[in-house]
Amino acid sequence: MTSRNAAPDAPAAGGRAGHPWRKRPARFSMSVMDAAGPVFRVESPAAPLRRGRDAIGRPVRIAAPIVRTPPSIRRLAMTNQPPVRPEWTTTIDPILQKELERYVLVTNWEKLLGMVDVVYNWGRRSSLWPLGFGLACCAIEMICTASSRFDIARFGAEVFRGSPRQADLMIVSGTVTKTMMPLIARLYDQMPEPKYVMAMGACASGGGPFKEGYNVVSGVDKHLPVDVYVPGCPPTPQALLNGLIALQRKIDGETIVQAPWYRGGVERDVPIPALGPDLVDLRTVELAAERTAQGLIEKREAGLEKPRLIPAPTADPVDPPPAEAPSGKPVKKPKQAVARPSAVWLGDAGLAELADRLNAELGAGTAAIVQAGLLIPAEKLVDAARFLRDRNPIRYDYLASLQSVHYQDCIEVNYHLDSTSRPGSLILLRVRVAEAEGEGELPSLYHVYRGADLQEREVYDMMGVRFVGHPELKRILMWEGFAYHPLRKDYLEPYYEAPTKVFASRVDEGFGRHVRAEELNPHGTNLKIPQGFKDWASLSGSNDPKGEAPLPGGVQVEELESDQFQVSMGPQHPSTHGVFRMNVRLDGETIVGLKPVMGYMHRNHEKIGERNTFLMNFPFTDRLDYLTSMGNNFGYALAIEQLMGDEAKPPERAEYIRVIMAELTRVASHMWSVGFLLNDLGAFFTPALYAIEERELILDLFEWASGSRMMCNYFRFGGVAADLPPGWLDRCRAIVEDRLDRKIDELDRYLSGNEILLDRTKGVGVLSAEDAVGYSTGGPVLRASGVAYDVRRAAPYGIYDRFEFAVPTGRAGDLYDRYYIRILEMRESVRILKQAVRKIPEGPVLAGKKSYQIKVPAGEAYGRVENPKGELGFYVVADGSAAAYRYHVRSPSFINLTALERMCLGRTIADVVGILGSLDIVLGEVDR
Amino acid sequence: MTLWVLIGIVIKILMIVGITQGTVAYLILVERKIAAYAQDRIGPNRCGAQFGLPAALLQPLADGAKMLLKEDVVPKYVTKPLYILAPWIAIVTAMIGFAVVPFGPVGPNQLIDFQIAPNVDMGLLYVLAVGSLAVYGVILAGWASNNKYAFIGGLRSSAQLISYELPLGMSILGMLLLAGSLDMNQVIAWQSQNAWGVLVQPLGFILFFTSAFAETNRLPFDLPESEQELVGGFHTEYSAMKFGMFFLGEYLHIITVSFITVILFWGGWHLPFLGLTPESSGLIDTLLKVGIITGKVFLAILFIMWIRWTLPRFRYDQLMDLAWKSMIPLALINLVATAGIVQLVRTYWN
Repeated sequence: MTSRNAAPDAPAAGGRAGHPWRKRPARFSMSVMDAAGPVFRVESPAAPLRRGRDAIGRPVRIAAPIVRTPPSIRRLAMTNQPPVRPEWTTTIDPILQKELERYVLVTNWEKLLGMVDVVYNWGRRSSLWPLGFGLACCAIEMICTASSRFDIARFGAEVFRGSPRQADLMIVSGTVTKTMMPLIARLYDQMPEPKYVMAMGACASGGGPFKEGYNVVSGVDKHLPVDVYVPGCPPTPQALLNGLIALQRKIDGETIVQAPWYRGGVERDVPIPALGPDLVDLRTVELAAERTAQGLIEKREAGLEKPRLIPAPTADPVDPPPAEAPSGKPVKKPKQAVARPSAVWLGDAGLAELADRLNAELGAGTAAIVQAGLLIPAEKLVDAARFLRDRNPIRYDYLASLQSVHYQDCIEVNYHLDSTSRPGSLILLRVRVAEAEGEGELPSLYHVYRGADLQEREVYDMMGVRFVGHPELKRILMWEGFAYHPLRKDYLEPYYEAPTKVFASRVDEGFGRHVRAEELNPHGTNLKIPQGFKDWASLSGSNDPKGEAPLPGGVQVEELESDQFQVSMGPQHPSTHGVFRMNVRLDGETIVGLKPVMGYMHRNHEKIGERNTFLMNFPFTDRLDYLTSMGNNFGYALAIEQLMGDEAKPPERAEYIRVIMAELTRVASHMWSVGFLLNDLGAFFTPALYAIEERELILDLFEWASGSRMMCNYFRFGGVAADLPPGWLDRCRAIVEDRLDRKIDELDRYLSGNEILLDRTKGVGVLSAEDAVGYSTGGPVLRASGVAYDVRRAAPYGIYDRFEFAVPTGRAGDLYDRYYIRILEMRESVRILKQAVRKIPEGPVLAGKKSYQIKVPAGEAYGRVENPKGELGFYVVADGSAAAYRYHVRSPSFINLTALERMCLGRTIADVVGILGSLDIVLGEVDR
Repeated sequence: MTLWVLIGIVIKILMIVGITQGTVAYLILVERKIAAYAQDRIGPNRCGAQFGLPAALLQPLADGAKMLLKEDVVPKYVTKPLYILAPWIAIVTAMIGFAVVPFGPVGPNQLIDFQIAPNVDMGLLYVLAVGSLAVYGVILAGWASNNKYAFIGGLRSSAQLISYELPLGMSILGMLLLAGSLDMNQVIAWQSQNAWGVLVQPLGFILFFTSAFAETNRLPFDLPESEQELVGGFHTEYSAMKFGMFFLGEYLHIITVSFITVILFWGGWHLPFLGLTPESSGLIDTLLKVGIITGKVFLAILFIMWIRWTLPRFRYDQLMDLAWKSMIPLALINLVATAGIVQLVRTYWN
C-alpha cells in the first residue's frame, strides 16, 4: 500500500511520522519499493501465472504482470465499468486482445494519461540535473561519481548546474550544519518544481557521526522533504549511482494528474529557519519559546554528570586533589607525561636561557617556566612577542598555532612559536585570563603576527576571550548572536549525555525500545536556548548574521559610491570548494574589499573530540581534511604517542607503512588540487578528471589496506591498524615506479606551459616571503613564496630523517608558483615512496598488543605533521582520563585563509577564484 | 514573385527552422559526448536504451520534455517584460540569421535554391548585423534579472561582444575584396575557381575564427556565463525553457558562425578533384554540394566543441587586450595589405 493513496493531508506513514510540523502532502514519504515501472514493459517469461477467464469465458492461465500500473490508474480502474468491446476485436486471439487493451491500446482517458505519464516521467528520469553544491566529504565522492571510473553522465545526470533555478536534483552531500541550513532551505525554495532531494551519506540523512555536535542538524529531513537516502560515510560513488537509480524508479511511479506542483495556490516553499540564539525552526517557534521559558533544558542538565575541570598546570606540579569517581572510589593519580611542548622543540636548557633573557630585557616576572612553556602575564604579551620576533637570537617569526584551554581557575591561551630561520626550536607561550564567561581579556597579537587574526577570532568565538586591539573581533565559526561559547567546559550540547564516551546504552533491554538522541532534549531536536531569551519576535529566516559586508570602518551600505557593489560569493558557489563564502566589494571587476566568511561546515570536531576516547577519535580526524585522511591520522597519532612515550614507539615496519601512506596521500591530494585549480581557471573539468584518475588507483590501495577509500582510520597509537595485505606492496610498487611519474609528467607537459594558464597565473596573487611567514601560512603556500619550511625537515617526525628528498621552493610567490610547487612536491613524494617501498622491512606493525582502551598519561602534547595543505597540528591536553581534556586542531587550510584578502585586493573577480583554488582549502578542516 | 515561390519560401523557412532546432538539440548531445571522450568517460548512454537505441539517442528529447514541463520561475524582483523578452531575443536573432545562409548550391540553373532569400547582395552584412543583435538578449537578461552575477555577466558580455565585432567584421573584409561581393554565393564561386579562403587569407581566417569564439560565448571566451566565477552569468535566474532558449540560441549561433567560416574560408561546397562548379546542377552534384557543405560545417562545430573541453578561460582584461591590442591591429594590417595586393594585381595583371 502506498501512502500516495492516502488523503493528501493525512500524516505520512512510516518511521518519520509524528513530527509536529510534518503536514506535507504524502509525496515525499513514498518508499522507493512502492514505485511502479512504466506501463508498457514487456513481461518476462518467468512471471508467475495466475488463473483467469478469457473474453468468452474459458478458463485460462494468464501471466501476471511483473510491474504494476501507477497507483492512480489502478485506483481509477477499479471504479470503472468494464469497457465495451468493439466489434473488430473478435477476430484476434482473446488473450492477446486482453494484453493489448491492457498495455497498448488507448481505450479510455486514464490510459491516455498513463501514456502521458510515461513520457512525462521518462523525460524527468533521464534528465536529472543536480545542483552543483557540495557540503563535505560526500561531495568529494559526488565529484568522483562524475569522473571516468563511474561516470554519472551515463544517466544524463552530469549537467551540474551552479544556479538552483536550473537544477532538478539537490544532492545534500555532507553534514548539514545549523549555520548552513537556512541557505540550503533557500536554495531548495529557489529550485523550480518538480525537484528532488537526495540525502547523501549518514550526516545528511540523520546527523551521522557528528550528530551530537551543537552546530549539526540531525538530518536534512528535519527541514526539507527528502526523496532518497543514500547510506554510507561517505557513500561510494556506486552507492550514489544506486541512489540515482532509486530516484529514477521513484519518478517512474509518479503521475502528472497527482503531481502536487501543478496545483494552483499551493504554497510549497519550505520555511527558512532562523539563526537566532540557536537555529530556530519557525514552524515550532511557539513551542520552543514555551519550553525555553519553562527552563526545561536547565532542569535536564542539572541532573547530568558534568565534565570535570582540572587546575591549570603549575611550575612544580602538586598532586591534584583526588577526584571522586561516580562509584565513590578515589581515582588513582594519573601518570604524568614528560613535559615538552612538542617532540622537537627548543629544549629545557634553551628555554631556561630564553626565560632569563626575557626577564632581563623586559623586567623581572615577564616569563616563568611552567611545564616546559613560558608563562607570561597578559600585559607583557605584546612586548614579549615583539622581542621574540625581532630581537631574540632565534627569531621567532612564525606563529605556528594559537589555542585556548578552559581550566578550573583560568582560561589559558597558548601560543606555539617557531622560527623559519632556525626551524625546530618550537616554544610554547602561556597566557592566562579570568575563567568567568566573557571576562577574559588579552592584548591582541594581530599587529605582531598577522597569522593571529583568524585564530584569535576563533578563541573569542569558542571561549569568549576578548582580544583588545583586534580590528575585527567577531565570531568566526558560529554566527553573531549564538548564545554560547561552545568550547567552554560548562557548555553542554543539546544532546549532551555524559562527559566522556562510551555513553550508557539507550536501548531499553527487554522492552524492545530505544531512546533516540532527540528524546534526550526537551525540545525534541538539537536546540538549546538560554532560559532568559525573550526576543522571539525578531527571529526571521531572512536574517543573515554572517553577511557582514567588507566595508571600511563605519561606512554603511547606503553610503557606498554607486559604482561599487557587494557580492556574496558562496557558501554555495561553484568555485568555493565547499561551503566557503567570500563577501566581496567590487568596483567593476576589481576587488576592493574581501572578507572570508566561514563556519558553514563547523561540525564541532573539537567538542566531540573531548567526549571521544582517544582511540575513538581516529575516525573523526579522517573527516577533517577529507582528502588526506591518512595524513590526519598521522598527526593525531604523533600527538598521543608523544604523551605515551616509549610505550607507543611504532615498530620499524609500521614507520615505513606510515610514510608510504602519508606520501601517497600527498600525491593524491596534490593531484586533486592541481586539477581543480585548472577547473577554477576555466578549463572545464578536463584536467581535473585526468588528474584524479591516478588518485583513484591510490584510493584503491587505501581501500585494500584499510577497508575504506577515503576515511581510512588506519593509524593506531604505536603503529597501524593492520598489516598490509599480501600483494599490496607489489601493486604499490607498480603504481609508484611506473604510473605516478608518468602522470605527473603528463600534467606538467600539458598544463605548465599553456599560454592561457601562464597569462592567468603569473604575477597573480603575489604573497611575499615576509607576508607568507607573518600570516602563518603553511605548506605549499609558504614554500611557493620562497620559504623552505617543511615540518618533515624542520621537526622531523616518524622516520623522515632517513629519506632523501628536497624541499622545493618558489620564487615569486604567485599563483603559478603555488601551482608548480605542487607538481614539484609530487615528484619529491614519489622519490620518498620509491625509497620506502624498496626498504620496507618485515615485522610487527603495532607496538604492544591491540586493545580497545589505552591509558594516556596526563600532560600536554602538540603533534605536527606536514600535511599536503600545510602544517597540521594536534594540541592535546590529557588529564589521565579516557578522553582528551582539550583537543585542538591547528588546521592549515584555516590559517592559510588569513592571507586571502591580502592576495586578492586589487585583483579581479576571476583571479579571486584562482587564488582561492591555489590555497587549496578543504572546508572540513577550515571549519572543523 | 508568384504564389508558388512564396509557398516555396515558407516551406524552406519551416524546414530550416525544424532542421536547425533538431540539429541544435542533437548538437547538445554531441557536445556531451565530446566532453565525455575528452575526459575519458562514456557520456550519456542510458536514455533510449529502453527502446533499443544506442548512445542515448533520445537524450535531447528527454531534456526537452523535462524543460518544457518544468516550473517556469519568474522571480518577484525581476523586471518582468525585459526578463521575458531576453530569451526570445536570443533565440530569434540566432534564427533569422539563417535567412541568407546558403545550405547548398544557389543559382538560376539549380534544382532548388538552398537559401531562404537567394542572391541577397548584402548577405554577409545582414548576418553580421543580425548576429550582433544577439548581445541584446544577453544584456537584457543580465539587467532584468536584478541579480549581481547576472549583472556582471551582462556587463562583461556587452563589452566583449562589442569589442569582438570589430575584428570579426574586419577579418572578412579581405576575403570580400578578393571575391568582390558580399553575396555568399559569389564568395563560394570565387573560391571554387581560385583557392580556398583559408589559403589566400590565413590571417583573416585565424582572426575570424577566434572572434567567432568570442561572439558565441564559447571557451576560452565564455566570460559572460563563466561558471566558476559567476555561477551561471547572465542566465543565473532563468529556469526551465527560458534557460533552454538561451541554450538553443547559443548553439544556433555556433551553427551560423560555422556556416560563415565554411563559406568564407573553407570553400563552401567546393572540394578539389570533384569537378564541382558553380553551374553544375544535376541531382547528384546538388546532393554532393549539400553534403559537403554540411559536412564541413559539422567539422567546424566539432572543432569549436573540442576547444571548449581543452582550454582554460581568459581573464576579462586579457580578453579586452587581445581584442584591442592584437586582433584589431592585425585585422587592419590584413585589410590594408589585401587591398594593396588586390589593387596591384588588378592594375598590372589584367
